[in-house]
Amino acid sequence: MNLEAVKLAAANNSWGALFPELMLACIALALLVFEVVLPRKQHRYIPDLAIIGVAFTLLGLFLNFDSASLDSETFNGLLHHDHAGQVMRVFFLLSALLVCVLARVSLAKRAVPRVEFSHLVLVITAAMMLLAQSSHFVMLFVTLETVTIGFYILVSYFRTSAASLEAGLKYLVMGALSSGLLLFGIVLLYGAAGNPALPMHSANAMHYRDLAAFLAANPHNFVASVGIVLVLAGVAFKIGAFPFQIWIPDVYQGAPTPVTAFLAVASKAAGFAVLLVLARDVFASYAWLVIPVLTLMAGATILFGNIAALTQHNVKRLIGLSGVSHAGFLLLGVVAAASGAAMATGAVYFYLFAYLIASFAVFGVMTHLAGADDSDQELEHYAGLAKDNPFLAAVLAVGLGSLAGIPPLAGFMGKLFVFIAAFQAGARWLLALAAAGVAISIYYYFGWLKAAFFESLAPSPDGPARPERTPVGFAAGLALSVLALGSILLGFYQGPLGQWLTLK
Amino acid sequence: MAQFLFNLFAAFTLVCALGVVVNKNAVNAAMCLLLALVGVAGLFVALNAYLLAFLLLLVYAGAVVALFLFIIMLLDTKGEQRPGLKHASLVARLFAAALVGAGLLSFFARSRLPEPALGPASAAVGAELKLYAYQLFTTYLLPVQVIGFLLLAAMLGVIVISKKLDAAEDAP
Repeated sequence: MNLEAVKLAAANNSWGALFPELMLACIALALLVFEVVLPRKQHRYIPDLAIIGVAFTLLGLFLNFDSASLDSETFNGLLHHDHAGQVMRVFFLLSALLVCVLARVSLAKRAVPRVEFSHLVLVITAAMMLLAQSSHFVMLFVTLETVTIGFYILVSYFRTSAASLEAGLKYLVMGALSSGLLLFGIVLLYGAAGNPALPMHSANAMHYRDLAAFLAANPHNFVASVGIVLVLAGVAFKIGAFPFQIWIPDVYQGAPTPVTAFLAVASKAAGFAVLLVLARDVFASYAWLVIPVLTLMAGATILFGNIAALTQHNVKRLIGLSGVSHAGFLLLGVVAAASGAAMATGAVYFYLFAYLIASFAVFGVMTHLAGADDSDQELEHYAGLAKDNPFLAAVLAVGLGSLAGIPPLAGFMGKLFVFIAAFQAGARWLLALAAAGVAISIYYYFGWLKAAFFESLAPSPDGPARPERTPVGFAAGLALSVLALGSILLGFYQGPLGQWLTLK
Repeated sequence: MAQFLFNLFAAFTLVCALGVVVNKNAVNAAMCLLLALVGVAGLFVALNAYLLAFLLLLVYAGAVVALFLFIIMLLDTKGEQRPGLKHASLVARLFAAALVGAGLLSFFARSRLPEPALGPASAAVGAELKLYAYQLFTTYLLPVQVIGFLLLAAMLGVIVISKKLDAAEDAP
């Protein structure tokens, strides 16, 4: 490599295109500096600085939404900036903002370090934003590992609780396994696509475009197809799709509630952003393999998630398993996108946003109802919520209704768009299965609502007492009202968001 | 010859890796890990990636395994008697082993890539320090920076999960 080539490569590292990620990284480092510099008494204000910082980053992103670097590759092909990448940036920033707000409520109940929590949330968010825009397997793997290692720590953050530590360990083992599968897949693809005896081989076979060109020229290569299946399996671990959902209930139950929300919403969305690009663009010429695999996975995921959630009493396990079924609905959208349905990509993104808004509303209520033992959140604890605290009960009703897909709410529109896309793609029997899944899901979501609205406060004298409910503070109250209103408004009027998401 | 060496090192690595998993004694398992890493370093040498082989021996075989041994000795773990296998779990294991075996067989039977005509090999990136460093600081500068944050997060994690809680600062 001569010096000119080196200079050229260095000139392609345009850091300006990464300003939101850089902002987050700088804020994350600044938080640690503040912890060293500021006197102890003021440390409890540091997490609020993180919230303000994320809000300003979000504002800056909105102001530069149609930035100059759109539809270009930077960092020598490691990143590809496009409209979907901008949408996912907004998504991850929003979830980071909400996680920080929930963490203020949740972490106040226990003795834990606070500043490091905000730092980790910001680092993970920045890594997820890069992950959604990566167009090279090296970048994909490095950012995915950053996200996963951050989550290992966050999941076991309540280290004095055995459930949290157990969840951390389980997530560590499963995460290492899934990273292994993903790496095996990448290596097989790299080996096949780098073989000089095959047509369209490439020296840069980790790059999505080169890999797609190679796959198009060799449509039935066995090694490449094994690689594709392994890569899909690695990503399926992250989104919790059926054969790889085994870690979900325990990890979701043990993790602190804000982390569960982060894991359920942002981590899953990151997986889907990657999966969409891979299934629709990179592996497009292997549709004969990708579509049946994803179809089977989607069907099994919808069935498993809904049926397993039916019998749960712990609300964290319940929402985890219902999250599995949502992953199934989203996979349905990915199948449609891979089969070439025009509106499928936009439908998946819309579903993700509707899921974000509804989930954080529910998780917000859960955070306020959790006691000192965060993993012990039972359906019975919701008894009499409507009388005690009508505001939380209303937010819960809107959130759960949206998750269940009750008509005027955003979740219904999300499901409708995904189903229309699947209909266009001709996935008929999968669609029937999904409709059955929706019917099952209404049962357990309404069981939860029944506990909150129709069961009276009659604590059994010998049973354990219900944990103390936290009063709703200003920031959390504002966030919850916005989320509930957003769920309702987005159901009636998708105008700008709908266009914004489907815009190419 | 190169093919033979590659197969030899690959088989050696696999056997040692199996030793890590099945060994009940933690010290023996760590020593097997050391040998497995030496095998991988041999594979790197066979692929002309001398720098990677050197780094692997230096960092993993040298430092990381030594750290493992320290921790094992500090914790003074004893191999625990495993609970007896249930019937269902035995069946499940056999089934899983059969599945993996079938998968490997089909992979060996069908995964034939054409042999490339080998011209003069271009220098592997992992062969020498200069080329490697050029790549790291130009093409792959962004991943290197991200890994910096990964390591910082990992370090913070260790501190957060193990440090003594500060009564004034961390109190609920």
